[in-house]
Amino acid sequence: MDFNFTEEQEMLKTSARDFLEEECAEKLIRDVEAGDQGYSPDLWKKIAELGWLGLVFPEQYEGAGMNVIDLAVLYEEFGRAMFPGPYLSTVILGGMTILEAGTEEQKSEILPRIARGEQIVAMALTEPESSWGMQAWDPEGVTVAAVADGDDYIIDGIKLFVHDAVCADTFLVVARTKSGADPADGITLFLVDAKSAGISITPLRTVAGDMQCEVIFDKVKVSRQNIVGALNGGWAPLDKSMKVGAVMLCAQMLGAGEKLLELSVDYARTRIQFDMPIGINQYIQEHCVFLLRDVNGARWSTYLAAWKIAEGEPCDFEVAVAKAWGSDAHERACWRAHQVHGGVGYTVNDGVLPLYSRRGKTYQLYLGDTAYHKEKIAKELEGWPAPQVPRGKPLGLWEGIPENWIPEWWDTYDKG
Amino acid sequence: MDFRFTEEQEKLRTEIDDFFLDNLPSDYRPRGQRGQTMEQYKFWMDLQRKAGAKGYLTPGWSKESGGLGLSDMEQGVVMEETSYWGAAWPGSQGIRVCGPPLHVFGTEEQKSKFLPGIAKGEDIWYQAFTEPDAGSDEANVSLRAVEDGDNYILNGQKTFITAPGQGDYLYTLARTQDVTPKHRGISLFLIDAHSPGVSYSALPTLGVFTVDIFFDNVKVPKDRLLGELNRGFYHAMVTFEFERSTTGGGAGARRGMEELIDFYRNEKPNGKPLLENPAVRDLLADRAIEMELVWLQGWFAAWHFSQRDKLGSPPPEAGGLHNKVVSADRAKQLIDAMGLYGQLRRGSKYCKYEGRAAGSWEVSRSTHPAGTIEVNKIVLGGRGLGLPRIPAKFNKEIRAAIEERG
Ligand SMILES: Cc1cc2nc3c(=O)[nH]c(=O)nc-3n(C[C@H](O)[C@H](O)[C@H](O)COP(=O)(O)OP(=O)(O)OC[C@H]3O[C@@H](n4cnc5c(N)ncnc54)[C@H](O)[C@@H]3O)c2cc1C
Repeated sequence: MDFNFTEEQEMLKTSARDFLEEECAEKLIRDVEAGDQGYSPDLWKKIAELGWLGLVFPEQYEGAGMNVIDLAVLYEEFGRAMFPGPYLSTVILGGMTILEAGTEEQKSEILPRIARGEQIVAMALTEPESSWGMQAWDPEGVTVAAVADGDDYIIDGIKLFVHDAVCADTFLVVARTKSGADPADGITLFLVDAKSAGISITPLRTVAGDMQCEVIFDKVKVSRQNIVGALNGGWAPLDKSMKVGAVMLCAQMLGAGEKLLELSVDYARTRIQFDMPIGINQYIQEHCVFLLRDVNGARWSTYLAAWKIAEGEPCDFEVAVAKAWGSDAHERACWRAHQVHGGVGYTVNDGVLPLYSRRGKTYQLYLGDTAYHKEKIAKELEGWPAPQVPRGKPLGLWEGIPENWIPEWWDTYDKG
Repeated sequence: MDFRFTEEQEKLRTEIDDFFLDNLPSDYRPRGQRGQTMEQYKFWMDLQRKAGAKGYLTPGWSKESGGLGLSDMEQGVVMEETSYWGAAWPGSQGIRVCGPPLHVFGTEEQKSKFLPGIAKGEDIWYQAFTEPDAGSDEANVSLRAVEDGDNYILNGQKTFITAPGQGDYLYTLARTQDVTPKHRGISLFLIDAHSPGVSYSALPTLGVFTVDIFFDNVKVPKDRLLGELNRGFYHAMVTFEFERSTTGGGAGARRGMEELIDFYRNEKPNGKPLLENPAVRDLLADRAIEMELVWLQGWFAAWHFSQRDKLGSPPPEAGGLHNKVVSADRAKQLIDAMGLYGQLRRGSKYCKYEGRAAGSWEVSRSTHPAGTIEVNKIVLGGRGLGLPRIPAKFNKEIRAAIEERG
């Protein structure tokens, strides 16, 4: 057991914090939200230069060869700074899926371009029906079909809540190519040029003010060459990168939560009402203390999940725990921070608190909310073994023995 | 970062596991200490001595003191398995609460006199701090200890003292000086439980069994003072650091989960396993999340504690508060998910799951031991987060002003 971060991770953390404080201040976030791209091309270029876009890619693809724990360290800082941009879409859901399942040609063509900041990928999975709830992130929810047509496939249907569709060069489309008993068997991943004929994109107005879109694929033609991974076998690699994505959202919420805690404690100490700092009141202290509880709880569940992924160990349970807790905890943390800040936390045009809060909602819902992941946990628990039975001979000391308030040894105790 | 245990630690884990597998009966149920029968109590005393002989009660203590001289992390492993098996040690207070500070503040004589008894599982200690007028406000202790030649003479009362077995010694806070602030005049004493003048009465609670203790001119030799005179409150604080670095919580919860899942799997009203019931799934998922969090925070605290020379005091953490908050929620979920059967106590006809839903619900009515939920929040907010508080020296004035207003 070792809860230390490596020296490299500490360095990444400090340099990320310094850089983002400078380059990703409130003004930039507001500008991006007001703009129609959903990201800042300038900032994107800068983080490419820092090597962040290739952080988890192997060196042969112009990456830095770092792992998912390192990425979580960076994501904590993204969360703190409210970094806006298509990182999760491009690097994780796009890039890491390609790294996992793509052909050598796909990898050596696309990954270096991603690392250089020259290609943005958006992953198109959720659909109008599945977006209602539990199946959004499961293969059951995928109905948009890709039908073979000679050397091509024709994709037809609507994908909804596609993050970063407006700025994407490429879509990673999750489509159904076969139906059968196993819903995962029959999912195929296609790389689709965003400029293909038949694609139309409509941004949605979300509380976060981010760039989630409706993407209509109207008989869009895509070459067989553009399949990532096996035909009908796209779910496994996608699922793997969605798990990484879920953990990164946890790290992002953790970083945001840490900042919310700092802001709230600071405000509680300095805001004067009734001639005293408001933080002297136990109601306000309670908000701060629960913020601490929610943030602290999220830390190690996030890093345990990241560590499991990095070690290549089974991680379904840990990822679900991290995201189930992280999402609800973040919702609570935002709410508590609002209460501490009074009216100041409620304004639209200035102050970071409402920004954290609005964006937080998206992190909570994206790649599975608390209810979704709790059901995953319950599934895991179904498979738990019965408790171990000891080997001693039975003594009949417990089963069916009534429980009293006073232990029997009290009768013989010398009570003075 | 590494969430793996070393090979040696895993070996130790297996060894402890085997100890329990061999020594517990096949019809064993981990059911706590509340209102034990004499046979159950004797069983635990025997097993405690067996574990003590192997050093398993206090693995982190030195060999001279009856431990195994293991590191904090290894101690964590032993505690984890002990807690997985729900070992209800009658000596738990001495093992967890009174022994560790004795290790730190005790004289050589005190250590060699008291520690082996705890480690071997022979002696049972009570932590006697709380008084009728000193609950959350622990510094308000008024059990008086007056110097008299080679002795102190004690008069007063303790209350709500957890009694997991037939006590041999009392780890007691008493007032040795009237000063402001109040906590600077308190000292710690190691007292024979059956000294002339000490008497007990039962104070059963919905949770563990507790007692009232009365002190009537009790003579305590001076060599039973622990640490420095009038520094007892500070010494007692150190206890909390030891308590905090426990790793048992998550593992105890894991055994509970296994049993609960098994119960829901096998109970099939109308032919449908309860395990498929959405409320039950929700409850299980909540428990699993908390089990993981408690496990992680427990190990983080133990790890931090093990590196205290390098890392200093730990960052404010809210694991303890978290436990207190959620335990009531979970107990409610558990009892509610059983319908009308939930209210049946152990031993009743028709009782399901051995009455554990009712039992844990009753236990969850209180969050008082080791500081109430509210006091936990105050400590975390003040010492942890640096939030302001009204300096204690104004308390009396405020009280007077309130009384004046009527
Ligand atoms: C089952 C059980 C076992 C116990 N075992 C032991 C033991 O082994 N040894 C021992 O010494 N003691 C023991 N105790 C005593 C326990 O430590 C006290 O009950 C606890 O410290 C609270 O004190 P009190 O009951 O006097 O409540 P009070 O201190 O009177 O508190 C009453 C209420 O007021 C709140 N309150 C008090 N002060 C403040 C404040 N400043 N701000 C806001 N709220 C406040 C409290 O949180 C609580 O809600 C045990 C108690 C129980 C119930």
